[in-house]
Amino acid sequence: MINAFTQIDHLASAGTSPWHRASAIAKLLLVLLHLVLALVVPSWVALAALFLTALVLCVTARVPRRLMLAAATTPLLFSIIFVAAHYHGDVVEAARLLMRPMVVSLSAVWLVSTTPYPDLFAPLSRLLPQRVGDSLFLTYRAVFVLLERVERLWKALRLRGAMARPVRERVAVVGEALGTVVISGFDRSVRLYQVMHLRGHSGRICGCRHYLDLTRSDRWVLVAALWSTALCAVLWRAGGA
Amino acid sequence: MSHLHVPDGVLPPIVWILGLVLAGLMLVWSAFASRRSGPQVVAYQSALGGIMLAVMALPIPITAFDYCMTLAGPVGVLLPPAAAFQVSFVVTLMLALLGQGGFTVVGLNALVLGLSAVAARPLYRATVAHWGPAPSMAFATAVSQLAASALWAVFLVLSIRLTPGVASEHEVEHTLLMVWRTAGVAVVVPMLLLAVAIEALLGFGLARFLARVRPALLPSVGDGDKAA
Repeated sequence: MINAFTQIDHLASAGTSPWHRASAIAKLLLVLLHLVLALVVPSWVALAALFLTALVLCVTARVPRRLMLAAATTPLLFSIIFVAAHYHGDVVEAARLLMRPMVVSLSAVWLVSTTPYPDLFAPLSRLLPQRVGDSLFLTYRAVFVLLERVERLWKALRLRGAMARPVRERVAVVGEALGTVVISGFDRSVRLYQVMHLRGHSGRICGCRHYLDLTRSDRWVLVAALWSTALCAVLWRAGGA
Repeated sequence: MSHLHVPDGVLPPIVWILGLVLAGLMLVWSAFASRRSGPQVVAYQSALGGIMLAVMALPIPITAFDYCMTLAGPVGVLLPPAAAFQVSFVVTLMLALLGQGGFTVVGLNALVLGLSAVAARPLYRATVAHWGPAPSMAFATAVSQLAASALWAVFLVLSIRLTPGVASEHEVEHTLLMVWRTAGVAVVVPMLLLAVAIEALLGFGLARFLARVRPALLPSVGDGDKAA
């Protein structure tokens, strides 16, 4: 997940595809549309077509293959458990249960890989209570510093032979090591608070309003939305729905 | 076991809608309860949320398997309940954006992870005077993880019961019960206990270190049970 975080963040800020230039609000609405379509469309053929659409979105946004594969397959394990629990000879229902999460998961990865986090969180934070919205920004900001620290700590533990100890000791040692990360996180939060205070923090991190700036590239998002809707309308009853 | 990796589109709408509504109400409560706390608490809770996310990326090798920690219990002890629930929600939302668990189950995930975090502090407080910080942290982590796992199981049972077409089929219910009695007891229960033991040991190590180096970060008995 460490790599996934950094890869996605880099791609979202440094990507140059038309999807990267499109506004965050348009992309959020497209993903919401995919989510609704994935939940209500009864045809597995339409869901497969929607999956291909999400795949094309990811490929054209130059999302790395490994990320796409992870996004498509991570939900599969749990879908298979549900399919096994519900299965009573209905192959179409099983196909639907397998396709739905893959559509949404790929669409989500496309969204986060093409939208920098301030633009992505700004509209979400307006729907959440103030403190939760602020926490969304600050947590994301903290993750990268802490990821680096945790990674270094993990390497040090391995090199010093902590992982060669018996399991009980191994876990307690990891817990102690995490204590250093908690203290560093606390100290960072104190510094961050002081910086916020000095810069005249008004009591709310609003995020930028770029997410509302419509661009020419939004036409592509509109085309994708119309395509997905038309696809589902035409294939609504296909494949034994 | 304190995070449902259930993707979108497999749970019946009534279950995830209920989850979203309940999580929304909990968020409103947490916002109300923490209205008086300053930006420093937001900064601290965000740092702990960042640690939770960072730690979830670390696999601890246990024989042939790797276990991913959640730290929900220890974070719940270090933060007041309202802030702990907010951290759980934010972490869950970020994981959903990364494709780990669906958007529709963000509410259920936040409730499961949040229960583990919210329950930990009162449990710690109730025992710390007798047992000391490290054993109390381990106890609070273990009990809150078990409670979260129980809630997780309740959601899964509800999902199967409320799925149209399955609800009325006794055959499916019978098969599931049979599978649970064999595979469930033999595989799931030992795995759950192992996961709880790992989290509890992590909590133990963490509290032992903090008690030695920065005891002020651990809540004391006299702090009062403020939700914020």
